[in-house]
Amino acid sequence: MSPEDRNERSAGALAEEDTLRMIAMLAAPEGLEDRVKAGLRSAPRRGAVIAWPSASGEGWMHSAGMRAAAAAAIVLAVAGGGWGVYSHIQIAPVPSAFVEQPLQNGAGRFSTAGAMHVPKTVQGPVVAAPVVEKQKQEAGKASQKRERQAGKKSKARANAALSADQPSSDN
Amino acid sequence: MEIVESAVHDAARQHAEEAALAALVDQYASTLYRVAFSVLRNQQDAEDAVQEAFLRVLRHRETLGEIRDHRVWLVRIVWNIVLDRKRRAKTRPETDDIADLARVLPADGLSAEQRAAALQHHAQVLTCVEKLPAREREVMLLSAFEELSSVEIAAVLGVTESSVRSRLFRARNLLAELLQHKRSTT
Repeated sequence: MSPEDRNERSAGALAEEDTLRMIAMLAAPEGLEDRVKAGLRSAPRRGAVIAWPSASGEGWMHSAGMRAAAAAAIVLAVAGGGWGVYSHIQIAPVPSAFVEQPLQNGAGRFSTAGAMHVPKTVQGPVVAAPVVEKQKQEAGKASQKRERQAGKKSKARANAALSADQPSSDN
Repeated sequence: MEIVESAVHDAARQHAEEAALAALVDQYASTLYRVAFSVLRNQQDAEDAVQEAFLRVLRHRETLGEIRDHRVWLVRIVWNIVLDRKRRAKTRPETDDIADLARVLPADGLSAEQRAAALQHHAQVLTCVEKLPAREREVMLLSAFEELSSVEIAAVLGVTESSVRSRLFRARNLLAELLQHKRSTT
């Protein structure tokens, strides 16, 4: 598009903008200002969290205590309603453990296919100890033990005899 | 004694604020109505938008003294209100809006045929304006108000003046193309 075409188009559009200018110049309806002022006069002067429709002037509804009481009543009503709903809802108990149903024919699992586990053992050398030597050693140990016990007994007798022969120190 | 003095001072201040607000209504209600009507194209909706704009001013009346240009500030308030309403109320078909507009546009001194042709022309223009991108459309609508300069339009839209000019240039070209296409097809 050449600049001349653009200018022509812009000039044409400027003529078309007359519609918008006509709208922009439309007269406001009669009594608009009065209606707006009346609306402003009836508007609430101070913003409040809770509007008091029956409040007129500085009455008891404007006291801080009454507002606090009303707010507390609203909170109680909401909380009570919530508790009422909560108490009427029965929640299904959640099981602590799940019982698994036994599967038949091993369905859903890997099977051993009849295989048996055989532990691997090492085949070591067999030591053949001489039985006779072992018996002789055990017999020797037993006789030595008996001799030691007999020696201890004879020593004890001798000590007892010595103590009987000696005079008493108290006499 | 101090309490009485402060109460008198508060009453005087409130009276001054109310007087300032009433003066703003007298001075700018008509301008705000026309701005609102250019977007909403419905008398009742435009009047409601003006009412809402002044209610917002009432809520922030303490800041009135800090405003440098009340006109631009008020136009900006009502502009945001009408754009928000336009977005939310998309239920009415555009043809109804144009038919409503045809009833209020001046057609004095025109014959019945001329009047019908003028209405058709206005309807075509407004249909094409609606097809413009939002940014370009907004600038074009505001530029139709002779009392708003490009600097003031920039202040209302929260953009730079050069941005307003470039958008207006694009809007005019697009509108011309749309109208040409519409006329060639009909």
